[in-house]
Amino acid sequence: MPWLKGKRILVVEDEALIAVMVEDMLSELGSTVVGPAATIEQALALARSEDIDGAVLDVNVRGERIDPVAEALAGRGVPMLFATGYGEVRLASGVPVTVIDKPYTQEKLARGLASAMSAAQLRRNTA
Amino acid sequence: MLVARTTQNEAEKVPPRKRDSATSSSASDDTAAPLETLYRLTDRLYRANGMEAVLAAALDSISEGLGCDKCSILLFDADGVMRFVAWRGLSEHYRKTLDGHTPWTPGTHDPPPIFVSDILATQESELVKQTVVAEDIRSLAFIPLTSQGRVIGKFMAYHRDVRSFDEPCRALAVTIARQLGFSLERATAERARLAALGELQESEQRFRLMAEHAPVMIWMCDAEGRCLHLNQMLRRFWNVEDADLSRFDWRTSMHPEDIEQVMAAMGGALQRRETVRVTGRYRNAEGAFRTLETVAHPRFGADGHFLGLTGVNTDITERERADAQRELLLAELNHRVKNTLAVVQGLAHQTFRKTDERARRAFEGRLLALATAHDLLTRSHWETTSLAQLVHDTLQLAGANRARITAGGPPVRLTPHAALAIALALHELFTNTLKYGALSNDEGKVELMWRYLEGHGKLHIEWRERGGPPVVRPRRRGFGSLMLERTLARDLDGRVELAFEPAGVVCSIEMPISDPGGHACLG
Repeated sequence: MPWLKGKRILVVEDEALIAVMVEDMLSELGSTVVGPAATIEQALALARSEDIDGAVLDVNVRGERIDPVAEALAGRGVPMLFATGYGEVRLASGVPVTVIDKPYTQEKLARGLASAMSAAQLRRNTA
Repeated sequence: MLVARTTQNEAEKVPPRKRDSATSSSASDDTAAPLETLYRLTDRLYRANGMEAVLAAALDSISEGLGCDKCSILLFDADGVMRFVAWRGLSEHYRKTLDGHTPWTPGTHDPPPIFVSDILATQESELVKQTVVAEDIRSLAFIPLTSQGRVIGKFMAYHRDVRSFDEPCRALAVTIARQLGFSLERATAERARLAALGELQESEQRFRLMAEHAPVMIWMCDAEGRCLHLNQMLRRFWNVEDADLSRFDWRTSMHPEDIEQVMAAMGGALQRRETVRVTGRYRNAEGAFRTLETVAHPRFGADGHFLGLTGVNTDITERERADAQRELLLAELNHRVKNTLAVVQGLAHQTFRKTDERARRAFEGRLLALATAHDLLTRSHWETTSLAQLVHDTLQLAGANRARITAGGPPVRLTPHAALAIALALHELFTNTLKYGALSNDEGKVELMWRYLEGHGKLHIEWRERGGPPVVRPRRRGFGSLMLERTLARDLDGRVELAFEPAGVVCSIEMPISDPGGHACLG
């Protein structure tokens, strides 16, 4: 998956077992994981300071919505993939989002991230 | 029964008694001219405006025409008992004692009148004779009153003397009876009409009250959509008085986002004269927007022309709020379930990592099938799920598989329990056929058909593979086979057969259907 090789991917996930699995999936795909962050606070700190090429975001992090992290990343033009159990994901800024259903396979994760990255590139090119 | 045993002839055979000064009078001496009597009767009956007036006119003409100061009119009541309804000069004792006595039964066809010249010469009981004589009566005339040829009652003329009732007198009596019978018939019909009218008015009043105080909002508009009536609840909703109805425009209370849709629906219903159901938000008297569901039906006059619409509005604000709340809870629940499944996936990932990649992938596939079924169940609010939809989602028929899998059958709904079991079974069959079966090459096909076994109350589902590589019976039963044959059968209270036929794998599932508490029902 050329899209993901050598990319720095922020992972926000409060469930440790899921976080470790996503970390392994991304490592196998050749990416470097930033985080994983288990709280919104940690995630915000990483989102503002780190070099990030993409993000896999849990929508509900210990009862808090991911929105502030998403807005921060959107402001930097970072492609995002939202992982959710159920329901729509809508950001206040109206930025279009890519969503995958939990649980997901490595293939679905890779495809989801790739489509978020190509959509972000398209936006940059047309902007 | 008075004179029941006295035939007309017997009565007539009775010889007139010797006259004395007190009782002697010939029939023609003290009677008014018959024509004049009949003229007056006809005139009064014509003007009579009810039963009382008819009876009074008849009594007058009987006593005048037949020259008696005692007379009476009796009619059969609802129970077929002859009752005094009007009388002249009769004591209460007499009426009480002889009430119910009659020579005829109700409905007797056109009986002849009976004239008794002398009560003492009849076979009547002593009690009757004594009662009659004590009332200062010796001779009696029984004139039947008929309606359409059937006896409905009689009138009686009583005389204190013994007399023979000559022919003109009899003719006059019968003529009076005919007039009276006809008028009674008319008065009875009129009374029935008035009673029906009263009932109608009463029922209208009742419905008006019901509509006015019903705990729903009821309204009426004319053919152009102008407001004609609002019941109490609706007047209170908008705080509008009956008197201001003609100036009231409900559209001003509508939420701007809903007005276009509601107006289009109402306009269409008026134009096409048909029933309409539409939902919109309206501002109430307190200034709060409430969601009202309106159902209105067209109203037609007796001659079929369109009068307008009659509608009922139901405030569904709370219901919508509760529905949204429920939706939210269900979404939250599913979110948690799916998150838990992801955690289990993570657990399996850790457990099998670097030891058994095949097992990990198989497990992951099953977990995802379970998650997909969960999504479907959440969408159907954990009520029943369509089998067709379940097949579609589990086998991903929207994608590349559409051309290779044919699926179909009558509409069937599954309980969540049955749906999860069937989803997992289909996943096993599907992954197996992708690896070894009909879908492992380029030309194989799968048919998944279900039908209702009439008379057995069973649903039969069959998975049949064709055109795959030659089928080899596996040496040992894998998890897939075990799950299909043992778990599924138990989950469905049914029977599952997995056959490795040369042409392809066949899996038959039979499960009970149609009983309301069961796992599946038609529809």
